[in-house]
Amino acid sequence: MSRAFTPYALILPSFLLAAVIVLWPVEEIVSLATHDVNRFGMLRDFVGLANFRSLIGDPDFISSLWRTLIWTAGVVLGTLIVSTPIALILNEDFYGRGLARILIMLPWAVSLAMTAVIWRWALNGESGMLNSALRDLGVMNRNIQWLAQASTAFPMQILIGILVSIPFTVTIFLGGLSSVPDDLYDAAAIEGAGAWDQFRLITLPLLRPFINIAFVLNTIYVFNSFPIIWATTQGGPADSTDILVTYLYKLGFRLGRLGDAAAVSLIMFAILLAFTILYVRLAMREEAAT
Amino acid sequence: MNRRKLVRSLIFWALLSPIVVAILFPYAVMIITALKSPTEVHDPTWWPHEWRWRNFPEMWQTSGFAPALVNSLYVSGLTTIGAIIVSIPAAYALSRFRFVGRSAFSQFLLVSQMLSPIVLVIGLFRLVANLGMIDSLNALTLIYVAFNIAFCVWMMQSYFSTISRDLEEAAWLEGAGRMRTLVLVFLPLAAPAIAVTAIFAFINAWNEFVIALTMLRREDNYTLPIRVFSLVAGRYTVDWHYVMAAAFAASVPVAVLFAWLQRYLVRGLALGAVK
Repeated sequence: MSRAFTPYALILPSFLLAAVIVLWPVEEIVSLATHDVNRFGMLRDFVGLANFRSLIGDPDFISSLWRTLIWTAGVVLGTLIVSTPIALILNEDFYGRGLARILIMLPWAVSLAMTAVIWRWALNGESGMLNSALRDLGVMNRNIQWLAQASTAFPMQILIGILVSIPFTVTIFLGGLSSVPDDLYDAAAIEGAGAWDQFRLITLPLLRPFINIAFVLNTIYVFNSFPIIWATTQGGPADSTDILVTYLYKLGFRLGRLGDAAAVSLIMFAILLAFTILYVRLAMREEAAT
Repeated sequence: MNRRKLVRSLIFWALLSPIVVAILFPYAVMIITALKSPTEVHDPTWWPHEWRWRNFPEMWQTSGFAPALVNSLYVSGLTTIGAIIVSIPAAYALSRFRFVGRSAFSQFLLVSQMLSPIVLVIGLFRLVANLGMIDSLNALTLIYVAFNIAFCVWMMQSYFSTISRDLEEAAWLEGAGRMRTLVLVFLPLAAPAIAVTAIFAFINAWNEFVIALTMLRREDNYTLPIRVFSLVAGRYTVDWHYVMAAAFAASVPVAVLFAWLQRYLVRGLALGAVK
C-alpha cells in the first residue's frame, strides 16, 4: 500500500458507514419532501415546493417553529450562564471537589428519556413531590398542575433542559480552564488585578474558544432534543408544547403526513446549517481580529 | 487541615448547593418512589412509612424488565465494538497524517452530528423498512454505530495526538512495518483512551431513545428506555413505584460507570472538539 493512500484507507470504513446511514436517509427525505406522498409512504407526483408551502400555511408549524427558537435560546443561554460559575468553582481546589463533580455530572449518565419520565412524575399535580417540596418551603400554598398547561409545562421543560445540559457544558469549560496556565494569575495578582479583573482579562478570553464550541454543540443538541418534551407532555396539551422535532414526529408517525414531515426535517437542517456556518464565520473573524 | 481551604470549601459548597439540589431532586424522587408501597405512592411523602424493597423483584416479574435488559446489553455491546473498530483507524489517520481532505473529513463528521437521528428519523425509518428490518436489533445497532463515529473519532483523536511519536519512530528504525508498529507499539499506549471512549459509546447507546422508539415495534424487542417509557405513556393507571424501580435499575449501573470515568471526558472532549 503506497504511503499516500494510507490515510484514505484508514478513514474509509468510518466514512462509508456514516455516509450510508446519514446520506441515504437525506436522499429519502429530499424525495419525500418534494413529492405528493400518501399515508403509506407511496410517492405520487413530483410537487416541488408544495409541501413546504402547505407547512408555511399551517399555524401549528409556525408556532412550533417559534417555540423551538425559545426552547433552544432558553436552554442554551441558561446553560452557559449557569455552567460558567460552576466550572470556575469546580476548577478550584476544595474539600469534596471530586464528589461535587460527580453530582453535577450525574444527569449526563442517565438516559434523557428516564430523567424526563421521572420529572413527569415529580411534576404530577396531586402526588408530585415538587409541589409538596415547594409547599413545605412555603413558596406556594396550593398544588400546581405543572404539565396541564403550556404556561407552566414549557418553562419547566426548559429548566429540565438546562439541568441536563449542564454536565456536558461544564465538562468542556473544565477542559478549557485546565489549559489556562497558573502563572498568568500569579502575574496578574502581582500587578494588583482583583478576582473580577482576572476573570475578565485572563479567564474569559482564554475560555473563548471553549465557550464557542459549547455554544455551537449545545445549540445543535438542544434544537434536536426530543426526549424531554416527548416523555413529559408528548407536545401536549393540545400541541401547545410542540417543538419542531415533536411536531415532525407526530406528522410522520401519527398523522401519516410524510411529505410534510420530510419538509420539516429539511427546514430544520437548513436552519442548523445556516446557524453553524454563520457562527463559524463570526468566530473566525473574531479570532483573526484578536 | 488547612483552615483557609476549609473556609473556601464551605463557601464553594454553599454556592453549589442550589444547583446540586436541583440536579439531585428528580433522582431522589425516583429512589423514594421506587421504595414506597402501592398505597403510599400517591402521597407525596419524603420518608415512606415502609421501605418496600419487594418492589424490585415484583417490577422484574411484571414489567418485562429482563428481556429489555438483555436487548439493551446486546445493542450497546455491539454498538461499542463496531464504533471502536471503525473509529480507531480514522482517529489514527487524523492524528498522524497530513492529507488532502483531512479537514473535509473533520467537517463531514461535524455535519453528521448536525444531521442528528431525530432530523433523519423519517428517512431512517424508510431505509430500514425498505430493507425489511423494522424491529431488528441489528439494524438499530448499525444506526447507533454510524451516529457514534463522530464522537469516538473526536475523543480518540485528541488522546492519540498526545501520544509521543518517538516510540513509533524507533520501532520503524528497528525495521518494524507500519501495521506491526500500530498493533504492537501504538495500540497498547492508546488502550486507556480506547477503553474510555468505548464506555462512553456504550452509555450513548444504552440511553438512546428516539431511534429505538421508532424502529422497535414488538414489546419483546424493547430496549430499557423504551420499556420504561411504555410503562408510562398512553396508560390510564401507571404503577409509578414499579416505573421508578425500573428507571433506577436501568440507570444505576451506567451512572456508577460514568461517575468513575467522567474526569477522562474533561480532557478528551474539550481538546478533541476545539481542534
